[in-house]
Amino acid sequence: MNAAVSEGGRRALWSLFGFLLVFLYAPIAILIVFSVNDRTLVSFPWEGFTFRWYRTFMQNSALLLALRTSTMIATVTAIVTVALAIPASVLFVRRRFFGKPFVSALVLSPLVIPLVVFGIALLILFNTLAIPLSPWTVAVGHIVIALPFAVLTLVPRLERIPAYLEEASRDLGASAMTAFRSITLPLMTPAIVSSFLISFVISFDEVVIASFIAGDEPTFPLYLFSQLRLPSRLPQVIAVAVVVMLVSGVLVVASEVWRRLANRRLERQLARYEGEEAVA
Amino acid sequence: MGRGQGLLTATGTAVEAQERAHLSEEARRARRRARASTLGLASSPVGYLVLFFLVPVILVAMYSVGALTLLPKDEYLSLQPWRDLLFGSIYLGVFWRSVQMALVVSVGAVLLAYPIAYVLALVAGGRKYTLLLLIIAPFLTSYLLRVLALRVILQEEGVVNSFLRTIGALGPDQSIGWLYNSRFAVYFVLIYVWIPFVALPIFVALDNLDLALLEASSDLGASRWRTFRSVTLPLSMPGVIGAFIFVFIPTIGEYITPLLVGGPDNFMYGNAIQGAFLAGFDWQFGSAMSMFLVLVVAALIAVFGRYLNVRTVSE
Amino acid sequence: MSELHDSAITLQDVRKSFGRVHAVRGISLEVFEGEFLTLLGPSGCGKTTTMRMIAGFEEPDQGRIYLRGRDVVGDPPNRRPVNMVFQHYALFPHMNVEDNVGYGLKLRKVAKEERRRLVGEMLDIVRLSGMQRRSAAQLSGGQQQRVALARALVNRPAALLLDEPLGALDVKLRKQMQLELKRIQHELGTTFVYVTHDQEEALSMSDRIAVMNDGLIEQLGTPRDIYEHPLTPFVADFVGVLNAMRVRVDEVDDLTATMRVGDGERVVVPVATGASTGQELMAAVRPERVRIRPAGEVAPAGDGSLVHGTVGLIVYLGTLTQYHVDTSLGGRLIAHRLSDDAATAVREGDRVVLSWDRGDSAVLGDV
Repeated sequence: MNAAVSEGGRRALWSLFGFLLVFLYAPIAILIVFSVNDRTLVSFPWEGFTFRWYRTFMQNSALLLALRTSTMIATVTAIVTVALAIPASVLFVRRRFFGKPFVSALVLSPLVIPLVVFGIALLILFNTLAIPLSPWTVAVGHIVIALPFAVLTLVPRLERIPAYLEEASRDLGASAMTAFRSITLPLMTPAIVSSFLISFVISFDEVVIASFIAGDEPTFPLYLFSQLRLPSRLPQVIAVAVVVMLVSGVLVVASEVWRRLANRRLERQLARYEGEEAVA
Repeated sequence: MGRGQGLLTATGTAVEAQERAHLSEEARRARRRARASTLGLASSPVGYLVLFFLVPVILVAMYSVGALTLLPKDEYLSLQPWRDLLFGSIYLGVFWRSVQMALVVSVGAVLLAYPIAYVLALVAGGRKYTLLLLIIAPFLTSYLLRVLALRVILQEEGVVNSFLRTIGALGPDQSIGWLYNSRFAVYFVLIYVWIPFVALPIFVALDNLDLALLEASSDLGASRWRTFRSVTLPLSMPGVIGAFIFVFIPTIGEYITPLLVGGPDNFMYGNAIQGAFLAGFDWQFGSAMSMFLVLVVAALIAVFGRYLNVRTVSE
Repeated sequence: MSELHDSAITLQDVRKSFGRVHAVRGISLEVFEGEFLTLLGPSGCGKTTTMRMIAGFEEPDQGRIYLRGRDVVGDPPNRRPVNMVFQHYALFPHMNVEDNVGYGLKLRKVAKEERRRLVGEMLDIVRLSGMQRRSAAQLSGGQQQRVALARALVNRPAALLLDEPLGALDVKLRKQMQLELKRIQHELGTTFVYVTHDQEEALSMSDRIAVMNDGLIEQLGTPRDIYEHPLTPFVADFVGVLNAMRVRVDEVDDLTATMRVGDGERVVVPVATGASTGQELMAAVRPERVRIRPAGEVAPAGDGSLVHGTVGLIVYLGTLTQYHVDTSLGGRLIAHRLSDDAATAVREGDRVVLSWDRGDSAVLGDV
């Protein structure tokens, strides 16, 4: 017998679960349905199946430009974020030093700062330094907010890689850098890919900071915003929204699944080494 | 035996006399090298954050007290913006409205997410991680798009109303007003957006429970409800509080959802800050508003920080 | 330092502290070429720290370390001519056996063909021929052990450092690997420095043992020296089972101190110098030197010790039987004898007579 639920409780909980699951996915499903509705308003009644909204958005050059801008920003963000997150994670997992809690708080604080405040803070910064607003300034901001997520993805994985592997590598003749590159880094790959994707998605979707420091070239979310006042544009907006959601959803889920499997594999490999813990 | 003793045999007693370790030159050099390498590792991430996170926030603080201004002024350093904010304006009211919004959303999200986390952690067995991923997946897609989706569904010419009109439940010009451009819409959308996120730390807290505790409680005669109230709930509470705080804090400053589905009556603190900067050019007042929010957030973290176990997010 | 060229490793007054913990408090040691030397001691005695300092993963606070005559203090691990076999083998999970074993060779830019040949040779020596393609993570414990060995030895280091490598293996496999290690060491002639807390292992494998305690070497010698002539109470107690008894000297002549206990009972120990009557000593004797006979048998002649007692506990260990005997000396004395037929004649509760030769007892500690 299960100590946590009774039979009746089990049924109730699973029903609630099912209901909430439907509730969570319903809007997405509805969007998908209406993206192929041959009607210029996103509403009932159903007027026939069509792909024309998808075709329309693919011909909308402003939309495509915004998509491209966002993709570029997101790529730069992801690359730089991961490049900063790797040394940060090594710092937290392998080193001891004075002031570690402060550095850790610093790296994690972008998680709690209200995005509005951070957006205007960057606006003020660029204004003070007389730096013109552009996709680059947006990337700068996105890197800051993506960094904690990237670090939090890398740290658990790095913790599972025992330090003695790098020591063995150095014992056999590798410099510290070579040891890291040939042993630790390859073993961190799933988490690195995960952080990359997470940073990418965070940046691609981000609207608050972009609304403050985007300059003349709108990001994809900003473009969507600008189209909301035009109901005739709504169907193609929905269509592109469906595409973006599905693609990002699949990518992130796939990377998460891979990361989990890779973690389990590493556990199994290392468990065989360590066997029963020997009394040191 | 000659060979058996080797060159020197250690004796122990003289060592005791050393009070401070006197380090050899190499030892000192080795420690210096280690410190330099740690510094090297820290330099890029920390440097980046200092430049693009700490400095901007400090600039905001400076603006809020007039140490910096957008346009040259006659006098600097005044607390007038703060006085305006705290005593002379409607913005405190807006702030409390935003806090209320954050409270309702956080409570709502946690209440709905808890049973999900419960059933996954304690009832689902082997499939739990797959189902969890299913719940989390929507959160991993675009926030903006999900809000848009709901807007499209809730608005006057949207899916719900048009559906009701099509089936005749509403007349051709009627619509359910409170679905959109309303407080309900703001709460509904935000709760919807946050449920998957909140489910995760609660799941972790429940998943980490030792089932033996529940079985022991049951063995000692408690009903399942009693077990839940006396064992499960208290033990999962830190995770719940952490999740609550994690939603509460960002939601105070939320402005996208109020803008998209709230309508003019649901002007929140985040909207006010945005307005001060992008519509008006009252950067000083806007900065004072921002710093106020930052201080409130900092206070919340100081008090509730220990519940914020960030590891649960990373798992 | 002309003796240095004969030694593979020399430590001179090496010290290391971690904060307030003095892990190594002054170790001086010379490891000779081709020998199998073990650092033996309980957890926390500093043996692993010493080994890590030789390998270069820690730097001594004070003292010098020479590898084949060269001062290596300050050299990073990758530039020291020693290699280590780690406690958890530390095989690289994302590589196969060949890449693992050849890792050090590759770093030294050895050509591919040559690498393959050397790896093959070494795998033959450790009896893992043909396993090149296997993934490191799929091997059994014993096999991983051998790969770790091969990976270190293929670089022909001046010395091989082994950090409790057999701890994770079950008993049978451990005994097998002990023999394997000796064989490989003899075949290659490499100097082995071995760290363990298992004194049986140390006794069976080593040419010499350094018994360590609390950051210092208490005794350095051959296994026989350590076992039969322990110099300190710690060594005597740590290595093997030991009977220790507190005696007060009743009679002294030039070479012997005697304590009278009761009717016909005496404890006799050889003393070097300066014992006086009334003095308190710790006398010790190994259980296998203690003879046990049922009381009532004729008392043996001789100048050795003689003690009466009652058998409190009998422990059957297969080859040996252990008798725990309550005596008037306070505490229990343990006698070992081979499990032969005569042994079964003694039962728990029987009155017995324990005796041992004068030369088999020793004094612990001072005097």
